[in-house]
Amino acid sequence: MSDTLSTSHADHSGEEQKYHAFINLALVLAAITGIELVLVYLPINGTFIFATLVSLSLFKFFSVIAWFMHLLYDKLILTLAFGTGLSIASGTVVALMFIMDRGFVDFEAISAF
Amino acid sequence: MSDDAHNNDSHHNLMVNNKKLLMWLFLGSDCMFFGTMISTHLIYRKLYPESFDPTSLFSLELTSFSTFILLMSSFLMALAVSAMHKGDIKSFRRNTLGVIFFGLIFLACQVFEFTEFVHEGLTLNSGTFGSTFFMLTGTHGVHVAIGVFWLTCMYFYSYTGKMDPHESAIDVEVAGLYWHFVDIVWIIIFTVIYLIEFIK
Amino acid sequence: MSSTLTEPTTPATHDHALKPEKSNLGLMRPDHSKSVIIDWLTTVDHKKIGIMYGAMALFFLLVGGLEALIIRAQLIVPENDLVSAERYNQLFTMHGTTMIFLAIMPLNAAFFNFLVPLQIGARDVAFPRINSFSLWAFVAGALVLNFSWLMQAFSELGWFTASGPTAGMTDFVPGMGWFGYAPLTERQFTGVGTDFWIMGLQILGIASLSASMNFIATIVNMRAPGMKMMRLPVFTWMTLIVSLLIVFAFPAITIALGQLMFDRVFDTSFFQVAQGGQPILWQHLFWIFGHPEVYILVLPAMGIVSEVLPTFSKKPLFGYSIVVFSGAVIGFLGFAVWSHHMFTTGLGKVATAAFSLLTMAIAVPTGVKIFNWIGTLWGGRVRFDAPMIFSVGFIWMFMMGGFSGIMHSAAPADAQQQDSYFVIAHFHYVAIGGILLASISGLYFWLPKILGKMWAGKLSTWVAILSTVGLNVTFFPMHFLGLIGMPRRTHTYLSGFGWEGYNMICSIGAFILGFSILLFVVDIILLMTKGKPAGNDPWDARTLEWATTSPPRSYNFARTPIIPARDALWEHKHGAKNRKITFVDEGIHGIHMPSQSWMPFIASFGFVPLGLGLCLMQAGVAYMGYVTIGGLAIIALGVTLWAIEGPGGYHLHPKEDEI
Repeated sequence: MSDTLSTSHADHSGEEQKYHAFINLALVLAAITGIELVLVYLPINGTFIFATLVSLSLFKFFSVIAWFMHLLYDKLILTLAFGTGLSIASGTVVALMFIMDRGFVDFEAISAF
Repeated sequence: MSDDAHNNDSHHNLMVNNKKLLMWLFLGSDCMFFGTMISTHLIYRKLYPESFDPTSLFSLELTSFSTFILLMSSFLMALAVSAMHKGDIKSFRRNTLGVIFFGLIFLACQVFEFTEFVHEGLTLNSGTFGSTFFMLTGTHGVHVAIGVFWLTCMYFYSYTGKMDPHESAIDVEVAGLYWHFVDIVWIIIFTVIYLIEFIK
Repeated sequence: MSSTLTEPTTPATHDHALKPEKSNLGLMRPDHSKSVIIDWLTTVDHKKIGIMYGAMALFFLLVGGLEALIIRAQLIVPENDLVSAERYNQLFTMHGTTMIFLAIMPLNAAFFNFLVPLQIGARDVAFPRINSFSLWAFVAGALVLNFSWLMQAFSELGWFTASGPTAGMTDFVPGMGWFGYAPLTERQFTGVGTDFWIMGLQILGIASLSASMNFIATIVNMRAPGMKMMRLPVFTWMTLIVSLLIVFAFPAITIALGQLMFDRVFDTSFFQVAQGGQPILWQHLFWIFGHPEVYILVLPAMGIVSEVLPTFSKKPLFGYSIVVFSGAVIGFLGFAVWSHHMFTTGLGKVATAAFSLLTMAIAVPTGVKIFNWIGTLWGGRVRFDAPMIFSVGFIWMFMMGGFSGIMHSAAPADAQQQDSYFVIAHFHYVAIGGILLASISGLYFWLPKILGKMWAGKLSTWVAILSTVGLNVTFFPMHFLGLIGMPRRTHTYLSGFGWEGYNMICSIGAFILGFSILLFVVDIILLMTKGKPAGNDPWDARTLEWATTSPPRSYNFARTPIIPARDALWEHKHGAKNRKITFVDEGIHGIHMPSQSWMPFIASFGFVPLGLGLCLMQAGVAYMGYVTIGGLAIIALGVTLWAIEGPGGYHLHPKEDEI
């Protein structure tokens, strides 16, 4: 009944291909982490660094999902199930960041500062 | 069509395994869970950027190292799942042990880091930064610990002889999904809590 | 086999003395138990679980109703002293929390559990043991939350005083509103009542989350052959959408409650102003959950009405695809409107305008559904049996709640209505006029299937008349009360504002409503004691659950049906020859049934020491921290053993001619 029974032979070569994909991705991820570490110390424009860091993390995030977690090889319904949660979470985070503003804070009431 | 509708290995209309669908739904829910905590942290950093400067406390080298460790553990986990699909229990055991080992190293780094911070004066009670930092990284650490526990149980279970590769491949895959998710949440946390504080 | 409610009176199958077997743990599985108690505690049968959810829901409906009647009795005249201000706050807090989390949500869960596998032609849900876990976790949460009443009683009797973290506080029952706004919920301002509320809701959240993931997997994966998504009954579609809403909305409140708990237990700064915390953040996080929550409450009711109206009009639902699509749009948009609960908090012009517009937008798919329901009635051969009376009542009463809702969506108008009785009028019309009437409709419709007995007499007509009269007499005047300025959540009021007359009318109406619910309970008791056998299909209905016996056998269908069309049973009975339901040949193995298990019960039992331990620790009782940790350990142990024991299972062989 499970996926593997009917495709046991084809799977071995499929697994081989996946194995190579995994190794490559692992190396890429390690490299990216190194780049991020170096990037923050470089004397370049802050906004550029921020944008690059966010892009690199997003790449790491989605590539682990696509390859290590197999979503690329699996049925669409799983991408939809996860993607809906991800979209709602992202939308909420973005909305909250826009709504919460320093202008509304009553700094008089905060004894900690 | 077979009627073993209660056999959790079954999958029917959309040909997606029940357990796998369940885990992806859980992970979608967990996105919202971590998303809420991350947005709390970001909101308070937006409101009070001058209240605390973590760059003197954070050791980017240590945190990059633990990030690297977790990424590599994810790689080993993918290999473990692959091994189980091929029916190679010995390879599965080796890789799973690797994941457990790396996971423990990650946890050790976290514990070391937290202890350092507490000594330096950053605790749960240190204003909004302390609250959000420790709750977020602490919850993530608990997720890692649960994953380590799960994989350890699986590792020992593989020695009982009750683990048939074809039946259990899905269970290993589901554990793998959880572990990878814990890794990708850390990728976000690393960027959003640590790295961006260092941008001038 | 044990003789329980869901077993039919004639023994159905010839099972050669089924014996329980050992699980992978080496322990005996509790299958085929002779003890009724063990059978029901360890059951994984979705029908029994549904019945237990329903029974608990109806019990808590009465508890919440009693809390409401005391509230209305207090408010019947100005400056009344039936209850103190503190007690009044606790009453409205518990009334709201009980009705939402302990009455409506489990009643919806009861319908989901009983109906969904039957409606899709399956034998059970995708994960039967998780289903059992959800039920018992719900029971644990209900217990933890209501244990607070016991503590309050002990306090009143002088047997217990709070010490330690909440020394000097006298509120043991939650009294800060069902929405728990910070900073009132911080340790300096409220006692362990807040802790009971936090832990109760967290446990209930876990119950809901696990159940909904189960239902999504079931609906996606376990449909009978031919049961395409667009052939599903609308009720099943609504279950799917509601389950998705639960999965994505509950984490927000889980975190908010967690942060509040950290503030109270570990003195963090999430919402404590002096340390930089922003209480408004609580409001945001709560309503990010809270708004989808009200759609979680109402969409199942809409699903029920979408089943009852076609059945009693002998016509298919008008615009099936649009009704389903509207349900999905309502669900999705529901995540985008949360700040309409916060129009008066000073969000700023842009945010206020955005949320106002989005809230108005949500009225559109809702209106579309109403037109489709009316279209269903139009031209049909309408029979006004009990379920139909309530569903038609739903259309009108829910619309009235919708009208006051759209009035709220205009932010300038809401500036006056917020925190006044106008809001109370709005949500009680949608909750009672909408959700309760639809739920009663569903109970009148499906209880004959669930219990196997038919309603007798016309008490239902009296229930309908009195509940509608009661609803309107209680809540219609509240629109005016709100517009002339009476604020919510005040334990009494002075005379001279012109509020006295309205309040007296509202209180009288509340007792009429309460009486109608009493009549409903009487009707159910009459059904259980004097009802005649219902037969498989007493209403000449349209969907698959009516193709089974009443009550259905433990395995639901002797042979899996193959579905040719939407409204499959109706097509089978009255449609063309090529639209008949056929059956899968099961073969010699028979029907595979899931084994029963103790583990879900054991795992969810751990929630009780977890919840109570933390609350009592906050009240200053010694060693309670260890009890809390012990609770966690029990949960972990239960789950681990559950994973190892394996699903098990046994086989049944129904007779040839059985359905």
